[in-house]
Amino acid sequence: MGVLAAAAVEEGVVAVEADRFGLGWRPPLALEILSNLERIDVVEVIADDFFNASRSQRRALKTLAAQVPVTLHGVSLGLASSVAIDRRRLNLTARLCEEIRPLSWSEHLAFVRGGGIEIGHLAAPPRCDETIEGALKNLSLARTTVGVAPQVENIATLIDPPLSRYDEATWVSEIIRNSQSDLLLDLHNLHANATNFGFNPIDLISRIPPGRVRGIHLAGGKWVGKGDVRRVLDDHLHDVPDPVYALLEEIGARTEPGLTVILERDGDFPSIESLLNQVDRAREALARGRARALRREVAA
Amino acid sequence: MNPFDFSGPDFLIFYVALCAVLIVGSVILRRKIESAPAPRIDLSDPLLIAYLRGGEAETMRVAAVSLVDRGLLTCSGTRLKNATHARPDSVRRPIEKELLRKFASSEEAASMFNDPKLKSMCKEYEQTLKKVGLLPDDYIARVRMVIFGSVGLLLGGIGIAKLIVALERGRTNVCFLIVLIIVAIVIAFRQLFPRLTESGQIMLEGVRELYSELRGRATLLHPGGATVEPMMLAAVFGVGALAGDGFAYTKTLFPRATHDSGHLSSGSSCGSSCGSSCGSSCGGGCGGGCGGCGS
Repeated sequence: MGVLAAAAVEEGVVAVEADRFGLGWRPPLALEILSNLERIDVVEVIADDFFNASRSQRRALKTLAAQVPVTLHGVSLGLASSVAIDRRRLNLTARLCEEIRPLSWSEHLAFVRGGGIEIGHLAAPPRCDETIEGALKNLSLARTTVGVAPQVENIATLIDPPLSRYDEATWVSEIIRNSQSDLLLDLHNLHANATNFGFNPIDLISRIPPGRVRGIHLAGGKWVGKGDVRRVLDDHLHDVPDPVYALLEEIGARTEPGLTVILERDGDFPSIESLLNQVDRAREALARGRARALRREVAA
Repeated sequence: MNPFDFSGPDFLIFYVALCAVLIVGSVILRRKIESAPAPRIDLSDPLLIAYLRGGEAETMRVAAVSLVDRGLLTCSGTRLKNATHARPDSVRRPIEKELLRKFASSEEAASMFNDPKLKSMCKEYEQTLKKVGLLPDDYIARVRMVIFGSVGLLLGGIGIAKLIVALERGRTNVCFLIVLIIVAIVIAFRQLFPRLTESGQIMLEGVRELYSELRGRATLLHPGGATVEPMMLAAVFGVGALAGDGFAYTKTLFPRATHDSGHLSSGSSCGSSCGSSCGSSCGGGCGGGCGGCGS
């Protein structure tokens, strides 16, 4: 431990400059986001929105990327499937990455089609060897086509996928360990699944190599259902709940700096101040985690 | 095959083709030279965006509407005047301070477009946009002049040479050619000297797209200065994009700008008069607003 770092812990100052915090780009928030760039380090753009975009829409994205660093997030490749990903969409993603040169690009560990039918939903596949193998093949193809491996995001599910052989932690960590893709850890998805199916979310976090978590998603949700079938639904329409910040602090204590933390909100937009306060809370939570790790290091 | 030996109609066809090739080629060259990666500018500043879109006049319009919306200026038909409580030092932007000084007594809104002090207040926006290559700076202006000079010399030279040949050969029906030379040079000038650089045009298109959702919500935007959204809408799409009774006064205040609805590039506005009064205080809802001057 260097003298400066020890002094930083003493002063309660933690070097977190490499972590980035931002919002998902949503057109209704355009003016608010562009008016608050001093509090936003990065915005995440949904790649699929620009696959068939007009020339002016692509110019708008380039204009945006000139104002603030951008990450691209895909929702329709269907990486986690024994079926190969859609080449057309992959090529469009590659073209967009080439044009925009984002900080990173990401996709979900989900399947979105089967038997030629688009289900229009990010569905959790059976957690078995076949889907691990399929995901690894797809990730390899994605990396080759785009030139950079995507970060992969864990998804939320209301049902425990049938025909699963592994729990989520094992399944996700196997894919991460055997691919070149890092994890975009959606903490609300993790919180929802842990709540819905009664496992400890820290278990999944602890099984991912610390340097392989490179992105974080934060969001909110709500309770749905009744009695024994109550579930937390990840709807992106509510504020980030406290347990998610607690998980983020845990991430801060266990991972290396350089994370990109994105607050996702898809509707029922509160004021920009409320969204930015949630981003600030995320900064504080991660900084607390970083400080904890530093103290632990000092003590050791 | 000497084109100067072509018959009149054949030469005209040749000359039109030559004009098309030279003008298109020179425009492509200009665009290539002026293209650059999008720069970082303050996209949350409505006045900067207004200047990008329409220059001084649009900046003044948006600034004036912003002051009316905030209750610092009152409008009476096509005239503007300070609200009684408005003081130049109560606003931040230099152009807004100057507008409040100018309209200390009631004046035609259109008079601001010729006000040298207000024009000078717009210089900072011009400089900012020139610095990042969205408006032509001295270098781009010189490059444009060289391209235009070359194209003009070629088009004019060839046309005039043919004129001389024709006249020497006793032909006097050269009117078409003269008209064609003039038209070609005018078109070349217009294509080679747009107000914005290619980067500026691309940036403006991008900004319009980024804020396109605002246009969809135009009728839901409330007057009263609570948010900057109405001003950004006016900056990006023109004062005419402001909708709803609360902004009806803009139709009378800037009739041409509102009529052209966001496609203005410059110029003055107003001219008609509307006798009755409709202060900014009507912002919340004076019914027909100044549009009908009926409240």
